[in-house]
Amino acid sequence: MAPSEGAPGLPRAEALPPTGHHPRPDAWGKVLGQTRYVGDLSLPGMLHAALVTSNRASARVRALELSAARSLPEVVAVLTAADVPGANSVGVIFPDQPLLAVDRVRMVGERLALVAARSREAAAAAVGAVRVELDPLPSVHDPVAALAPGAPLVHEGGNLIRTFQVVRGDVARHFRRATVVFEAEYRIGGQEHAYLEPQGCLAVPEGRQRVTVYASCQCPFYVQQAVARVLGLSLAAVRVIQTPTGGGFGGKEDYPSEPAACAALLAWHTGLPVRLVYSRETDMQLSSKRHAMVVRHRWGADGAGKLCFAEVETFMDAGAYVGLSTVVAERANVSAIGPYHVPAVRVRTHVVYTNNLFGGAFRGFGAPQVTVAGEATMDALARRLGLDPVEFRRRNVLDDRRRTTCTGTRLERPVLARQCLERAVELAATTPPVAAGRGEKVGTGVGLVLYGCNLHHGGQRLDRSSAVVILQPDGSVVVRVGLTEMGQGLLVAVQTVAAQALGVPPEAVEVCLPDTSTVADSGPTVASRGALAAGRAVLDAVRRLRRRLDPVAAELLHCPPRQVELLGGHARVRGEPERAVPIAQVAAEMAARRIEAIATGWYRSRPRRFDAASGQGGAYDFYAVACHLAQVVVDAELGLVRVARVVAVHDVGRVLHRPALEGQIHGGIVQGMGWATSERLAVREGRLENPSFTDYVIPTASDAPVVEIEAIEGAAGRGPWGSKGIGEPSLIPTPAAVRNAVCDALGIELFELPLVPPVIVAALGQRHPFAWLREQPADEGVGVR
Amino acid sequence: MDLPIRRLLRPRDPEEAVELLARYPGALPVAGGTDLVVQLRSGKVSAETLVDLGGVGLEGIAEGAEGLVIGAATTMDAIAADGRIRAGWPALAQAASQVGAWPIQCRATLGGNLANASPAADTAPPLLIANAQLRLLSSRGTRLVPLAEFFLGPGRSVRTPEEIILSVTLPPRTLPAHATLYERFTKVGPRREQIISVVSLAARLVVAGDGSVGEVALAVGAVAPTPRRARRAEAVLAGRRLTGPVRRDAIAALQEELAPIDDVRAPAWYRRVAAAVLLDRFLAEVAGG
Amino acid sequence: MAEPVRVRLRLNGELREFSVPPGRRLLDLLREDAGLTGTKEGCGAGECGACTVLLNGRPVTSCLVLAASCDGCEVTTVEGLLAATGEPHPVQRALVEAGGVQCGFCTPGLAVTGAAIIARGVGKAPERSRLISGNLCRCTGYLTVLEALERAGGAADGAE
Repeated sequence: MAPSEGAPGLPRAEALPPTGHHPRPDAWGKVLGQTRYVGDLSLPGMLHAALVTSNRASARVRALELSAARSLPEVVAVLTAADVPGANSVGVIFPDQPLLAVDRVRMVGERLALVAARSREAAAAAVGAVRVELDPLPSVHDPVAALAPGAPLVHEGGNLIRTFQVVRGDVARHFRRATVVFEAEYRIGGQEHAYLEPQGCLAVPEGRQRVTVYASCQCPFYVQQAVARVLGLSLAAVRVIQTPTGGGFGGKEDYPSEPAACAALLAWHTGLPVRLVYSRETDMQLSSKRHAMVVRHRWGADGAGKLCFAEVETFMDAGAYVGLSTVVAERANVSAIGPYHVPAVRVRTHVVYTNNLFGGAFRGFGAPQVTVAGEATMDALARRLGLDPVEFRRRNVLDDRRRTTCTGTRLERPVLARQCLERAVELAATTPPVAAGRGEKVGTGVGLVLYGCNLHHGGQRLDRSSAVVILQPDGSVVVRVGLTEMGQGLLVAVQTVAAQALGVPPEAVEVCLPDTSTVADSGPTVASRGALAAGRAVLDAVRRLRRRLDPVAAELLHCPPRQVELLGGHARVRGEPERAVPIAQVAAEMAARRIEAIATGWYRSRPRRFDAASGQGGAYDFYAVACHLAQVVVDAELGLVRVARVVAVHDVGRVLHRPALEGQIHGGIVQGMGWATSERLAVREGRLENPSFTDYVIPTASDAPVVEIEAIEGAAGRGPWGSKGIGEPSLIPTPAAVRNAVCDALGIELFELPLVPPVIVAALGQRHPFAWLREQPADEGVGVR
Repeated sequence: MDLPIRRLLRPRDPEEAVELLARYPGALPVAGGTDLVVQLRSGKVSAETLVDLGGVGLEGIAEGAEGLVIGAATTMDAIAADGRIRAGWPALAQAASQVGAWPIQCRATLGGNLANASPAADTAPPLLIANAQLRLLSSRGTRLVPLAEFFLGPGRSVRTPEEIILSVTLPPRTLPAHATLYERFTKVGPRREQIISVVSLAARLVVAGDGSVGEVALAVGAVAPTPRRARRAEAVLAGRRLTGPVRRDAIAALQEELAPIDDVRAPAWYRRVAAAVLLDRFLAEVAGG
Repeated sequence: MAEPVRVRLRLNGELREFSVPPGRRLLDLLREDAGLTGTKEGCGAGECGACTVLLNGRPVTSCLVLAASCDGCEVTTVEGLLAATGEPHPVQRALVEAGGVQCGFCTPGLAVTGAAIIARGVGKAPERSRLISGNLCRCTGYLTVLEALERAGGAADGAE
């Protein structure tokens, strides 16, 4: 069965429209400085909000003295938990997190009070005037230590939130046949999203009956739910409009509900518009982060170089509140084995409370961490077997013959993992290797990922999407979707799909950012699902619109409605392209006859079964594979890593818009590379010591590697025209490839991330020419937790 | 958000500037602001009054009797581009082109970099090996201070609150016949551009016609409470040939002059290792010819 | 009580006069007093470059410049990159065409620095890369941005 058949609403392969390459519809506004982000919006009488937060990771709140702050000039409101009319609760899945602390704080940055004032200066002064007295309580700052008996409890019920498992095959039996067994513990640091636009929102009240919230966000529906809950309003009374969003990467998936609920609460109390925009320092300390993880491996392979068994135990540092941690764990759990055939597997993924930074969604969503570990272990096993790392992967990667994953899913054919690997190696060989200068060593490494597209089974209930298509009387088109644009290209993807479905040029299609009053809940823009979910809903809407459009066109063309095709701005008779009328004429005719030219569309994924206890079943709807090959140059004396080149080969299903695809891959590679080499979160007792771009070091233009991309369209996914999703696969393999390349360059094995210079120099131990200068032994004093 | 200051004064010449500093106790001079504004915003520093030095005429590079005179308000960008500095004091030009990123370099001034007195100030090591002299002005007159005596500790210098730096003078240097000059500034940080130094080295070495070391000047930054000359390492090298053992001894001597700390940017031991690498590489480059 | 200062400057070619608190940053004068919200605040500490404007033709991070220091100066923001004819600056056109705009938040500052790089006539890619390194971008991975700068440099040369 050809991949594109059997999926409703998708055209046959030979009818696929060409890949888009036109400029993004939002690009001009942005480059001219005309696009208005939420911090650029203001309304008469608008107040500025600020937060009073805890500077301790664990404490009892003894006193909160507000009178001095309240009496300052220009201060309009100072609110605490007592002022919450609805539920004092945020937390997208689990109700363990207050909007405002009552008597206990569990993380640095926990909110104690909210301030609204007529100027930002007055708000800051009010924050400074609130007297907070905290009695420190014991705190815990390591996810493994948090599970030890006697560890301080973050919440009453214990520090283990949940353990997820994958159990398949008999590990003990396969352990006995292994020739080589490798054990390791990987300590993998978290990551800060570092979107250029800080968190921000603007809440506009209408009495106490309703509120409109403008938010920089990836899911206006989460914001709507949180604000409704906090204010005790119905969902319909809360309207959330996504503003142009300056980057998200997962950091604006659920987190924006917190500042939005704060601003809405202040607006509800004061009756005035309230804008809350975080400073960079506040954003870095308070907002969610990629989870730091400890990943323990025991993997084995036989003499023929085939994997026998794999045991993984992962400890995820969730921080003080669950947030999305259990969902991140679901992906980390089933991704821990990678795209390999392993007869026996046991994975346990523990989600653990600590008093550290708040762990949440970040591009890759648990997969990058376990992939770094998995690909590192693959290299380690290869080395011990005397095999080239690529050859070892060749022997073990899933393919058309052995295509059952560790969750018992039989992947659809063709499985392109081996092709991606081979193509990456071939492309890398076409240019000479990078030259090494004095003191430099060059290395190559690969990273492979089997990526579950769209939401995990655990998130199925969110996997639906709503669209509205309005054909204007002049033939232009307005499209409304529920998925968000945050720079990844959602607007251009939807524009492209809608234009192709309606046969009009892209410039004729205007796509709006989501507004909860105009489309139904479409879930979050995450899991690389944007183009898929929005695109499929748009195709559905177009299908419904055509039930009314095609008969009108058919009349104008004097043909049966089923012969009508839409192409090149015209309605045409299929097979007779010279019999055509402009779509604008059809639209005008529909308007003149008062025929409904607006249609809604709906998408939802097919239900599937999954057993959480064993991790067996349909974890994801379908899968994509990718291989990144990295060439690095390591200054072996200073421990500095330069990523010179990355070859990225992706199983994409179908390229909807080539520049958008490449943009995602470039960006994912550089963001992944930053996490692997320089982005260290320096956390001490729950406090982030480097909450600034000065000391949280992300790549600059001078760090960008050469990137070569190959997109393979051979295995259709369930997105429009068979596309699969690129947002996360574009990042996941790079950190693994970079780590492996660094190890290859230096001839050592590294078990922590990021690979900042002190880590590398320490790992070189006595091999470093100036090892005699070091006062401390190799495994201390590096301070990268 | 506005900075919490009450008053900003804009004198038209240096004498008026120092007269204002004397009149308003606690007032701070500001030029490019690339350090001071950050500190005022974070609350690390506070002041009611700022005295803006942007309009007092202290930019410019001129040749004087004592050497090349760089006005204190000259920006890093101007220094990095100046042909005389690139030719005669290449370490300074290199350092100026590596202070922050380009938009910072277009605003940050030489005087500000020195007055801020960070142990990691990038222009300090090149100026130390150049034996730079600072001219300071107060309402009581001017005084000359060798840069080697200027820094007292992290954020502290001999400049009193009522003084401003007028200029930095680079004494002329001559190269003996048949001698070869090597001069370089390098800094180490967690990525290639826009970094605060974890360690920096300014090195100048003249190799005489017979292959021995004529003059040598070494200065390091970010590895001690102040930027400093590495005089012990210099003493090991002076007059010697750059054999392997001599180079190793110089590196060991350098270590004795370092007092690095652990901070969020790097642990102390790494700073020691990186300093050794930078000196080793410089000496290897010289020895390699 | 803070003593307001008078600031006169030529802003995007137009003579403007403002009375502002002494602690006002140029960034806030532009965004609030002048209503030009194209220039963004990404960090407030001069590290990300989103607030870059041209001050007397040189790129500066306006979050670190006091408005009062700009008396008598020329300031160009992203809004002022347009030619007198209303044509976008070559670097703006190049960014759009090369796919160098994703979320767009870094874009105004980056376009301004890019315009300064073009004006300086920088011909070599490594130098362009160094000069643009003060403008952080988290979305594009910089490759299309660097391509845009190269194209715009060529376009500017071609226009002469």
